Amino acid sequence: MRYGYPLGATALALLLATPLGAQTLRYATIGEPPSLDIQMGTATLATTIAQHMFETLYAFDGEGVPQPFLATGGEVSEDGLTVKITLREGVMFHDGDEMTAEDVAASLLRWSEFGARAGILGLESAEATGDHEVTLTLSEPNGAWQSILAHPNGGPVIYPADIVSEAEGEPISPENYVGTGPYVFGELRPNRYVELTRFDDYTPLDAPADGEAGGREALFETLQFIPVPDVGTRMSGVQAGDYDYAEYISGDLYGLVAEDPAIQVKISEAPIFGLMFTNSEEGPLSDNIPLREAVLAALDMEQALQVSVGEPELYAVDGAFFPEGSVWHTEAGTEPYNQGDPEKARQMAEEAGYDGTPLKLLVSTNYREHFDQATVFARQLGEAGIETEMVVVDWATLLTLRGQPSEWDLFMTHHGAMPDPVLFTVVNESYPGWWQTDERDAAMAALTETSDLDERVAAWADLQTLIWEQVPTIKVGDVYSFDIASPNLQTPWEDAPAFPHFWGASTN
Amino acid sequence: MGRYVIGRIGAAAATLFAASIVIFSFIHLIPGDPVSVMLGDAATPEQVAALRERMGLDEPIWVQYLVWAGNALQGDLGRSIFFETPVTQVIADGAETSILLALITMIWIVLFGIPVGILAAIRQGTWIDQGLSGLAMLLASVPTFWVGLYLILIFAAGLGWFPSSGYPSIFEGGGLANLQYLLLPSIALAAPNAALILRLTRASMLDVSREDFVRTARAKGIRPSRVVLRHILRNALLAVVSAFGFTFAALISEAVVTETVFALPGIGRTVVQSILRRDYPVIQGVILVTVCLYLVINLLVDLSYRLLDPRVEL
Amino acid sequence: MLGYLRVWTRPVVSRPLAALAGLFLIVVLCCALFAPWIAPYPPDQIDPVNRLLPPDAAHLFGTDHYGRDTFSRAVYGARLALLIGVGVVSFALASGVPIGILSALYPMLGRVLMRMVDVLMSFPSLLLALGLIVILGQGVLNAILAIGLIYLTTTARIVYGVALRLRSEPYVEAARSMGAGTLWIVRRHILPNMVSPLLVQASFVFAFAQLGAAALDFLGLGAPPEIPSWGNMLAEERIYITRASWLLLWPGLMIVLTAFSLNVMGDVLRDRMDPRFREMMGK
Repeated sequence: MRYGYPLGATALALLLATPLGAQTLRYATIGEPPSLDIQMGTATLATTIAQHMFETLYAFDGEGVPQPFLATGGEVSEDGLTVKITLREGVMFHDGDEMTAEDVAASLLRWSEFGARAGILGLESAEATGDHEVTLTLSEPNGAWQSILAHPNGGPVIYPADIVSEAEGEPISPENYVGTGPYVFGELRPNRYVELTRFDDYTPLDAPADGEAGGREALFETLQFIPVPDVGTRMSGVQAGDYDYAEYISGDLYGLVAEDPAIQVKISEAPIFGLMFTNSEEGPLSDNIPLREAVLAALDMEQALQVSVGEPELYAVDGAFFPEGSVWHTEAGTEPYNQGDPEKARQMAEEAGYDGTPLKLLVSTNYREHFDQATVFARQLGEAGIETEMVVVDWATLLTLRGQPSEWDLFMTHHGAMPDPVLFTVVNESYPGWWQTDERDAAMAALTETSDLDERVAAWADLQTLIWEQVPTIKVGDVYSFDIASPNLQTPWEDAPAFPHFWGASTN
Repeated sequence: MGRYVIGRIGAAAATLFAASIVIFSFIHLIPGDPVSVMLGDAATPEQVAALRERMGLDEPIWVQYLVWAGNALQGDLGRSIFFETPVTQVIADGAETSILLALITMIWIVLFGIPVGILAAIRQGTWIDQGLSGLAMLLASVPTFWVGLYLILIFAAGLGWFPSSGYPSIFEGGGLANLQYLLLPSIALAAPNAALILRLTRASMLDVSREDFVRTARAKGIRPSRVVLRHILRNALLAVVSAFGFTFAALISEAVVTETVFALPGIGRTVVQSILRRDYPVIQGVILVTVCLYLVINLLVDLSYRLLDPRVEL
Repeated sequence: MLGYLRVWTRPVVSRPLAALAGLFLIVVLCCALFAPWIAPYPPDQIDPVNRLLPPDAAHLFGTDHYGRDTFSRAVYGARLALLIGVGVVSFALASGVPIGILSALYPMLGRVLMRMVDVLMSFPSLLLALGLIVILGQGVLNAILAIGLIYLTTTARIVYGVALRLRSEPYVEAARSMGAGTLWIVRRHILPNMVSPLLVQASFVFAFAQLGAAALDFLGLGAPPEIPSWGNMLAEERIYITRASWLLLWPGLMIVLTAFSLNVMGDVLRDRMDPRFREMMGK
């Protein structure tokens, strides 16, 4: 029920004019999504929206295990270099054509050449070896191939072959958004909304829904994603009935909504974590691991999280990069995390030969948490005698500056939950920070050369230990963001997934 | 008159040309680029460089300018890098909100500023005048975003009388009732501008009342209320009305902050967002259109002034 | 010189509102000058345990989300307010006065200069300031420059108008025909007559610079966020408006009262001005 506006007639007119309320989901987003061609970008919001239109060969179930989705299965050759994937038959694209092996091969090739996570799979070729069979050739064995094929964020979603070949390395334009998902691209009104409508000829997988895997059913007629950058406005909008769902509410507002019966709270099931990268290429930190350890020793993560999140229920001081409950979770090597010992840090810095040069700490104001954490760190480092110079810019400038090794020593960013360690930005040698050591190479090789999960988990424990030893990046802590929804909204999940999906969602 | 008009239009065109060069070169001085924003955090520098090349962003600036200016002359402002839709459509979408917001704000300004200004002038020198003038100065000193935040807190989140934010088009479900979304923002935006109109009304009233023809009318024994209405008011409003043009133009481009607070899809917010995303075509397009708007209004105001006020010679 | 002093003091005695405004400005000035002695805490002292406290005896205006003392930050904020005001006024006067006078004296040059001022004025001013800051980078000096540029245009126009009128005054014409040099005319006749219009303009520019700076801060493009300014305080704490609305009350009131006091002073000065120039200063 909407709040009654005192303008009686107006309220009535409004009620009469929006009988679709029950069939349209109005989702308040943190801003406008960039291109919904999610092969090309890793923005969380774009993935959240586009996953309703575009689908992947595999999909993660409720446990985080990749299950065949558009594929029916896959077989890896003895040497691990060839993967043969069979496809589900009768899957329809939004334009009425059936999905074939040609479409899949073309989509995978374009993604591995131009995509935001190009190169991660090591794909050399993808060929249609049958109407519904695709054969992939890899440059080296990759034990994470199913997870990589299941991750929609900057990942290999399937488009029709002709659209892919026309777009090549440029993002696909909105009029060509054609996928296999339960929702069809409707309309993009800049600053107003992105609208998706139900795909009536959707071919669901014949299996019970389980996480993102299993059958998907579009119960809402329309999904509307409305940009509302101000968090207070997003919140009061749900309270007032203007939106059914609002993402990314600040931790400090938790206390206000947790008790409010007019609001459902959806805490994210997977945490986001802040990262402070160190520069391995240039500057005082580049070849001085002891100095990085001194920086690490000075930091009290509890304080940083308290300031940036506020609500204790919504953060966890934990140096493990995968949260508890994940198969990858391990505390291996996390001892140096969260020492908060200025005296020790001062001594370590001295021993490391620190000469008082201010460290350039690059941070953007577009993400409030980044700035809050950087402010706290700058102060803690100052107490340990390590000088910092904050370089505060907007996010677009930061993305450019961090590519220039001479411009920074430390920069703040964050990382979303990842299904597999190979998707972690720090292990990518060309990601700013440029962590390239022999030990890293060895640990990475151990992680990817096998597809045996136990061996891979053990390899990750070594890699995580190495990260805390060489300090290419410093984890701040786990932050469980939360979303809010109107009390009538029924979602197929209890805690909010990293990319909340609304197939199977309805209002009562 | 004809020669004057042609001269003014020529000058406006020259200003526009100079402005377009300034806009274009300045925008490309902004550090950062749209491609890395687009590709996101995980993209590598090589990918960014490759896409830049494909999109023609590595061409020399003057080449990019010529292409853009040539297309702009034909009414094509290019495509938004971020939205991947024509810039003209992005502007048109924002224009509805901006124009309606400005219009509603103008209504408040007229309803409040003019009568109160008249009252202050009639009661010149009394405590009413001083109080009203003080009020006007207070209104002019209040940051619109601050008022906006408290308006939301009280009337939207607290009392639930009005919607808190956003604005669905009046051409969509809800129709004209959607205008209620613009009520709180227009009040926040009206406050400082109403103060200006109030002061202007008062000052023009006093100016006109010192003119000879008013003195004559008074001397002829015409009733004071009639003098005020027939003689002073009509002439005083001339100056006020000519200020409307600029107020309107300012309301459209200066509403950025109000649009941000109330999450309104207007063109001001579009520009700010586009600056943050380095969406060059949109920034260029919107600023060009606003500059045009200013120039046209400027021209119209000057011309109407010359037409309406016989004392200005042509 | 004493005459101008009287312009400042007389209205204060005759109008109580002006007296209050002057008093408030003195308070702001003291805050700026003696901040370390007035503020009970350092403005950047973080204390996460005591965050978002409501006002009490220890924290008069409460604490923000870092646990910093809002009262101390408001006191230190006066420094930036003053700096921005003085900076913008100086920039606007230092550039606007020469442009205006030169344009009035040399019509050919004036045509070019005033055309350039027109180009600048045809840009939406807030957007112009935003764009400049994105190009130059965030910083106090750049904020001053960006806001100053807006008032350069209005100042130049006013100076141009006043100088043009003075130039055609009979006594200036007479001096000129008697062979007086341009510099002498500027010094003897134009500049002295310019003082009171410029004082009025300065107080209005000072007032509106506060609002402009606050708007820039609010959009995250004003003073660097680590500097305590009233606008930054509002921008940083705005999401707490439902939870801790007092955090937005005080910095907001400081902005309003400062701008208001300056406006009152400007208004009083204008009433004392030579009526010939009054109409040029806006109504």
